[in-house]
Amino acid sequence: MAEALPGTTVARREIWSVGGGKGGIGKSLIAASVGWQLARMGRRVVLVDADLGGANLHTCLGLPPSGRSLADFIQRRVPNLEEVMVEAGAPNLRLISGASDLLSAANIKHLQKLRVIQQIRGLEVDVVLIDLGAGTSFNSLDFFLLSDVSILAVVPEPTSIENGYRFIKSALYRRLRTLARTDWVRALVDIALDPKNEEGIRTPLDLLTRVERQDRDAADELRRGMTRFQPRFVVNEVRDEADVNIGFQLVAACARHLGLRATYAGFVHHEDAVWQAMRRRRLFMTDAPTSRAAEEIRKVTRALVKGESLGSGY
Amino acid sequence: MAPATEAARPDDLYAVLGLAPRASAEQVERAYRFWLELYGEGTLGTYSLLEPEEAETQRSRVREAYEVLGNAERRREYDESRGFEPPELVAEPGGPAAGRPGGPVSPAAVTGASLRQYRESRGVSLGQIASVTKIGQRYLEYIEEDRFSMLPAAVYLRGFLQQYALFLGLDPRAVAQEYMGRIPKA
Repeated sequence: MAEALPGTTVARREIWSVGGGKGGIGKSLIAASVGWQLARMGRRVVLVDADLGGANLHTCLGLPPSGRSLADFIQRRVPNLEEVMVEAGAPNLRLISGASDLLSAANIKHLQKLRVIQQIRGLEVDVVLIDLGAGTSFNSLDFFLLSDVSILAVVPEPTSIENGYRFIKSALYRRLRTLARTDWVRALVDIALDPKNEEGIRTPLDLLTRVERQDRDAADELRRGMTRFQPRFVVNEVRDEADVNIGFQLVAACARHLGLRATYAGFVHHEDAVWQAMRRRRLFMTDAPTSRAAEEIRKVTRALVKGESLGSGY
Repeated sequence: MAPATEAARPDDLYAVLGLAPRASAEQVERAYRFWLELYGEGTLGTYSLLEPEEAETQRSRVREAYEVLGNAERRREYDESRGFEPPELVAEPGGPAAGRPGGPVSPAAVTGASLRQYRESRGVSLGQIASVTKIGQRYLEYIEEDRFSMLPAAVYLRGFLQQYALFLGLDPRAVAQEYMGRIPKA
């Protein structure tokens, strides 16, 4: 039976995505469990596995590899995405699998991506939740940027945090480049992409200052674009309080040094129940519904729906 | 309370600590510890974002802001010079707002036990201090246990004590001097 959540009705179709830059940090598990929870709250959800080079969202959900996948749509073997949508083992929840034997599907072309985006926007659901692949490919960045809710998953490890920042900066610069209306601003964004550039532009805030010196209107336009980009952090596999605090640190550092209004949606503890469920190829939300991790996913999902943050950390 | 935006008010000490001007003394303390930890050497949330020199600059700014805002008298002068309203009063017996007329205080008698009590009353773990100061946690434990024979040479110990005190918002010189004064001469 679906859980009612008063006052949080999704008024229109929303696109959510889960990125993170690094592989093996639990993006797919977060996508599967948040999607499952949204469905349980009464939303009509379709999960999209856009990790075309390493799709395994179906496994996280306890499903066998689908006979149909996103690659069939990309290769025009089916006319629309509904054709590749399968039931995902819970009411209101469906899956567009990314699993494919088509190796080239990992690098879809720009026009193919636009077709996918157009179809996603037309799906008759409340939430489309996209599981992005690792790395900072333009495909991942573009799906992340077009999302209404952009979830950035990290684990409390240096490599994950480094890649998380790299992912955010890459996404932000890509957004700013799109917004740039003149060649010189675009050129400056390209320069900023090199962290050791000779212009001394080290952060998006430096870039804004540099643009503002020459063209205040252009800087305002970029600033508005930055304001609309609001990644929501989820810290996965935390073990202690210091790990939990990393989410607060990321939000504070993003605000002060990248000029971004990120939020901290919550954290999920490292727990045996999660990997035990995974080994049984079952989602821990159904296999261990009373586990701490399951309760934390419920909290994270509610925070994401309401746009809430855990606060400042002080 | 919405945190102040530092980029919009770069010379505002409250913005340095991410606070609004009416923040309570307790909020100032919590914010100070948070930002000091954020800019600590090798802190996970910033080490890959900031160069070490930049992190050090930020640490200095946080300390400078706290030296004013953590001192009731200096804070009042600063607020008046800026036209800010007085801070929110926190009616907490023995809390930070109550016992700090003139600045960072030291426990009455600086012993390991009194330091530990002060630290715990602020909800700070030894792990947090170790993480920011890079002092081995076992040395911090020796300090709080008054295990003088296990402590390092005086020149190092003084630095450890000062960093420990700074983290907790205590007077670093007074804490180091009083604590070391209790160590029996060899």
